Amino acid sequence: MREKLLVCVSALQASAAYWRAGKIARLEQFAHDEEGLAAFRAFLAPHANVPVLLMVDAVEEDYRFETLPHSFGSERAQMVSRKLKQHYRNTPYIGAWLQGRETGKRRDDRYLFSALTNPDIVVDWLRVIGALELPLAAVYLLPMVSAGLLDKLQIKTSNLLIAAQHTGGLRLTFFRDRQFRLSRLTRGDGSKTTDPVRLFAGEISNTRLYLHALRTATLDEHLTVLLLDRNDELAEVAETIIQDNPALDCVRVGRQELASRLGMDPQLLASTPDALYLQLLGLKTPAGNLAPATATLGFRHYRARRAIYAACAGIGALAAVWSLANAWQAFGVKSQTELIAQQIAAQEQQYKTITKQFPPTPTSGENLKRAVEIARAVRENARDPMPMMVLVSQALQATPNVFVREFAWRYAVGEIEKGGGDIAPPPQPAGPGAPPPNRKQSAYIGGEIRPFRGDYRAAIDTINGFADRLRADPAVAEVRLTKMPLNISPKAVLSGNTMDSRTDTSAAEFEVVIVFKPTV
Amino acid sequence: MISRDDLQALRIPLIAFAATVVVSITLIVLSGSFLDRADRAKAQREAQLREARGRIQNAGEEKEMIGRYLAGYQQLARAGFVGEEQRINWLDSLRLANEEARIFGVEYDIGAQKPYAYAAEFNPGQLALQESVMNLRLRLLHEEDLPRFFNALARYGGGLFTIDQCSLRREARAETDRSLNVQPNLNAECNVRWLTVKPQAAAEKKG
Repeated sequence: MREKLLVCVSALQASAAYWRAGKIARLEQFAHDEEGLAAFRAFLAPHANVPVLLMVDAVEEDYRFETLPHSFGSERAQMVSRKLKQHYRNTPYIGAWLQGRETGKRRDDRYLFSALTNPDIVVDWLRVIGALELPLAAVYLLPMVSAGLLDKLQIKTSNLLIAAQHTGGLRLTFFRDRQFRLSRLTRGDGSKTTDPVRLFAGEISNTRLYLHALRTATLDEHLTVLLLDRNDELAEVAETIIQDNPALDCVRVGRQELASRLGMDPQLLASTPDALYLQLLGLKTPAGNLAPATATLGFRHYRARRAIYAACAGIGALAAVWSLANAWQAFGVKSQTELIAQQIAAQEQQYKTITKQFPPTPTSGENLKRAVEIARAVRENARDPMPMMVLVSQALQATPNVFVREFAWRYAVGEIEKGGGDIAPPPQPAGPGAPPPNRKQSAYIGGEIRPFRGDYRAAIDTINGFADRLRADPAVAEVRLTKMPLNISPKAVLSGNTMDSRTDTSAAEFEVVIVFKPTV
Repeated sequence: MISRDDLQALRIPLIAFAATVVVSITLIVLSGSFLDRADRAKAQREAQLREARGRIQNAGEEKEMIGRYLAGYQQLARAGFVGEEQRINWLDSLRLANEEARIFGVEYDIGAQKPYAYAAEFNPGQLALQESVMNLRLRLLHEEDLPRFFNALARYGGGLFTIDQCSLRREARAETDRSLNVQPNLNAECNVRWLTVKPQAAAEKKG
């Protein structure tokens, strides 16, 4: 998030900061009264749709460490939810965070449960935020935010107690092995106390006793006390603590170093104790959001809107890049095409110059050649009925009693079957690449035997002899007798009258089909 | 889960998203088709360039081809094989062939011109090989009149034709005209294909 509104609420007042481009751009404090709330509203109003992160610095906070049986998914969620309801009945600002696993056999899960036990502290401030329809991103307890200091100050000690003067009192926060364990805020403003040494020393001592009572840390353990001295006034306190408690290690971090480590303006740091934590909150979103889902609905919508708009931008950018690439390529291709067109024009000009020396022709040389070759091929492939007629004439000379009534000839793909109106079917178009079908000559002869006198045996012998003479020609591929004067096949019915033959009115008709070899 | 309230809150971003997707796809498709068209135009131009270069490379061969085949082509054009059909010439040829073969008249039917059924046998390339089928009915004194008639028809040069089929049938005596001294003995019927070629319009040489 490039822009954020950071709010730190304590019992009597609130600090609000406008975060922009990685730093606090504006910081103001507001009293918890009508005037302060109005000023708070005026502060937030110009920043429509900027998400708000709120933290609470108050004594009404609670932290509990508990172990629960190790579990996953919905079972874990239900167990944690039950536990939260059991501990905190009167506040919606609750949360639980898994801290790790126990080292025992059961390897139970260790949880930190925390809550803002008095939600009234934030109600007025949240009402202003809600009225302005600003998306509330999270609500934290200040000690959870202060965990960020450990990284910023590069503190690696195992037992650390951070002590700092806050608007609501002295805040002491204990970390063990860099994990938050406990925090307490003493009531009252320490800055008004005349003897800060006594205050700090006393509260540190009280906290150690409290940690001992909770069995979180024993009194003998080495402890590092970190004094956040934003006003450079705790040098004496640090010295006193070290002198009085040899078991303690006290580190004081002054204004310049704090400002330098956190990357913020020292003047801003001096303006309010909250500034330090607002800066931490702006730098890194910590774990420990206590806000219920209903309170952060606006932020979820805000985040979804941003994600959708980001997706739009991504898709739009991708489409733009793709389209530009296509357009650029097309432009390049068009340029090449124009270049080729120029080359074509030059080639055509050159060809015209060359062809000026050619004799005038009605068409291309290729077409001239093809036309002449086609004409020659047509003539060579042309067939006429004369060879077939000659063949039949020669065969008839030896058999004068064969009388031809009809002769038909065809040069086609299919063979002739009948004379008269038998028309050759058109050739079937050959498939691409297939050779054209071969045409061949065939003829049909319809005739009779004269004189007949009812002598079928002699007539059939004559017809067979005629057919044999036709077959004898080397050009002939096949001779078929398609009709005979008498069908003597045992499969056919045969009937007649012996008296008919004496009158010589019956005829010995026959039909023959002759097929030439395809090469003829 | 996304609730109705969520959808209502995200209505404008979702509309913007849908619009972005539609516009993006449209942009990509349009620019893609623009590129495709450019690629196709380039490929077409490249083919034309190859053809133009090929023509120049083959110019010598072309010149030699023209020298060798032009006269034959022109002769075929005069004969009526190249170019448009010369139907009047065909009819004149029929009349002259009839007179020379001394047959008893020729009846004819000429069909509409169409692509030659056996064109594939001749690989016509960029030439259109066309045919018109003519049905001839002749009355002959003797069968040898038929070859005489076709020889004469070929000689009088109405173009180029092929004979597809012929049939000869003896004349029934009762049907003949007894007033004639010489009577036809045979009825003949033949199918002839008159062939013509011409360069296809797209292949015709410019200028």
